[in-house]
Amino acid sequence: MSETVLKAENLSKTYMMGKREVHALSDLNLQVNRGEFVAVMGPSGSGKTTLLNVLGCIDRPTGGKVILDEVDVAKLPEKELYKIRRNKIGFVFQTFNLLPYLNASENVELPMENTRKSGTERKRKARELLKVVGLSGREEHRPQRLSAGEQQRVAIARALANDPAIVLADEPTGNLDTQNKYEIVRLLANLNIERGTTVVAVTHDSQVASHTERVLFLKDGKITKEKQGLHLTKKKLMCPYCGSKIQPNDERCPSCRKRL
Amino acid sequence: MGALTRAVRNISRRKMRAFLVVIALGFSLAIMISLPPGILANQESTQNLTTNYDNTVNQMEQRLTLIMCVNGSSSNTTSQFPFPYGGRGGYGGGYGRFGGFGSQENYMDETVAGTIDSISGVEAVVPILDVPEGVTTQTFTGFGGRTFTFNVSAYTIEGVPLNSSLVADDYVPLPTNITQGRDLQTGDTEVAVLSLNNTGYFGVGVGGEVNINGTNFQVVGVHGESGSSAYALGQAADVRTLFMNISDAQAVSGLTGEISAINVYADNSSDVSNVAQEISNEFPTFSVTTEESELQTIENLYNSTMTTNEAAVSQTQTVAFEEIIVAVVATSLIVLFVMLYTVRERTKEIGTLKAIGFSNWNVMSQFILEGILLSLAAGIVAIMIGSIGAPTLSALLLPHIANPFSPSGGRFGGGGFVVRTGGAGTPGADIATAVATATPTPQLMLIALVAAVGLGAVGSLYPAWRASRTRPAEAMRYE
Repeated sequence: MSETVLKAENLSKTYMMGKREVHALSDLNLQVNRGEFVAVMGPSGSGKTTLLNVLGCIDRPTGGKVILDEVDVAKLPEKELYKIRRNKIGFVFQTFNLLPYLNASENVELPMENTRKSGTERKRKARELLKVVGLSGREEHRPQRLSAGEQQRVAIARALANDPAIVLADEPTGNLDTQNKYEIVRLLANLNIERGTTVVAVTHDSQVASHTERVLFLKDGKITKEKQGLHLTKKKLMCPYCGSKIQPNDERCPSCRKRL
Repeated sequence: MGALTRAVRNISRRKMRAFLVVIALGFSLAIMISLPPGILANQESTQNLTTNYDNTVNQMEQRLTLIMCVNGSSSNTTSQFPFPYGGRGGYGGGYGRFGGFGSQENYMDETVAGTIDSISGVEAVVPILDVPEGVTTQTFTGFGGRTFTFNVSAYTIEGVPLNSSLVADDYVPLPTNITQGRDLQTGDTEVAVLSLNNTGYFGVGVGGEVNINGTNFQVVGVHGESGSSAYALGQAADVRTLFMNISDAQAVSGLTGEISAINVYADNSSDVSNVAQEISNEFPTFSVTTEESELQTIENLYNSTMTTNEAAVSQTQTVAFEEIIVAVVATSLIVLFVMLYTVRERTKEIGTLKAIGFSNWNVMSQFILEGILLSLAAGIVAIMIGSIGAPTLSALLLPHIANPFSPSGGRFGGGGFVVRTGGAGTPGADIATAVATATPTPQLMLIALVAAVGLGAVGSLYPAWRASRTRPAEAMRYE
């Protein structure tokens, strides 16, 4: 049986819009196993970002539990939460959110700043992660000198800096063109396959979602449907379309030539 | 790469803004470090003035302990106007003891001096012998053909005692404006100091000899029109007075044992009226004159001037204190508003930092550090501005205190009094000059840097706290 890394039980989040209550999340239950690549899909206003914020401990639920690595983080005080965010969670944002006055390497080092890693270790790790995301040699470049896809790669490297239990990606392809969109999805998928990184990605793009392992459909703050994605077969190094053997870095199936 | 590097990068990211903020803060801090030296200079200057005043007034009080005694009623002997021919109008001014228009001296026995010396409260007694010489009768025809006849002296012998203690204590009325040669000294005999006018009359100068009634006197000095050291109020010395030892004067004028006037000095100004009264009682025929009214006037002026000065210095300190408070508040407010703006501008960054694991303290210290760095840079700018511009800033921001000794604005200048400060006094320091030399000390510069850091920290505390309290989920939504 797979180990559960993240579990949400009866999760609810209510906002007050003036005097009106808005239920962004309503009695939501969710479970993510270690090493899974999960997509959360839903239309605008369905509560996708709220769910990700609550799961990522940057927002508090109104009710229910969020159990991350066997700790109920919903009840933790702020002085404990930042440690959870630093050590257990990696965030990837739609708008990348890189600090413009730091170069790629420094941006990746940022989450490691308040850890016990030495400066040399941090630099080494940042270089290693930038290499993993395919940005070797671009370490000294500031975000302004990187393309949108490259910026998102830096953001993914940053999310992996402290070897988190889970990477939460909020519309990671939302600001990218088609080419970069697939590259980022493939990068996340490869990280999932090669490093075993657990990824939960929020998206409204069904094509992106289909490349994950499991797709959860969110509507009115509840998970209404769940379906299997193409990534499951890919993980077994099989083409999800024709069943031919594939390699992790293949962009297209060698047999059917469909985009993986 | 730590918080410090990030702070420096962030500040340098917006160079023009940082420059303007640093300049604004720098000026505020420069005011803070420029005013204390200005105040100190003002205080020092005022202290100099006070010392000067004290010296001067003490000296004047010493002079004003003078009681002048002549034999005979004052109506006989007093000339109210300085008169260039004969008499001592020049020295005496309003108190001249010798009639200018040929009035007769009433000589007295020199033993009177000893009697007066024994009166309680007497500090010194200086007998003087004035003898008009070369008297000729001149006739003057006035309006309406009326003819006036009067005696005019060619010169006046001024016999003064050259007793060592009297000379040393400056009680002897010797000429002060020696233009050639030297003044009379203790023990001089058969020497004379001539006026410029005398040199023409006798046709000799320093080194020559003058014959007076058959006795030759070596001319050792020539004096111009000047005050005599014993007459502090500065009336011009008689242009025809010839100074010599009193014993020589008595000998050449055939007035052995005779004197024409006595200058009596009381122990202090409070004894003057008592001593004068005692002399009047002892010698009812004497005309006894004091300078109490002048003393009172000077004391009043002194007191009112010092009160004005103290009030002005106190006002300067108050104004400076208020200006420093304004500068401190302005510095803190500049930092506060700039950092508040920065926090607002970087809300999304704050949200990101918190989302990737920065604690409240990490975020807060980042912004405080930025505030401190800005202020520290401003502190350095302030030191530069202060080093160069402290005198200007002080002069602009501190109230000006008029120097009472200055000829234009002074209370003793230009108008009624000319104060002779004498040997002990030095010219009153000009406050404007004192301020102009005021520069911040190294200690003050160090304080400025510490203050800059402190104000930077205080000013950025609230914005940094606000930043640290930002909820990441809300910050992420901020555009």
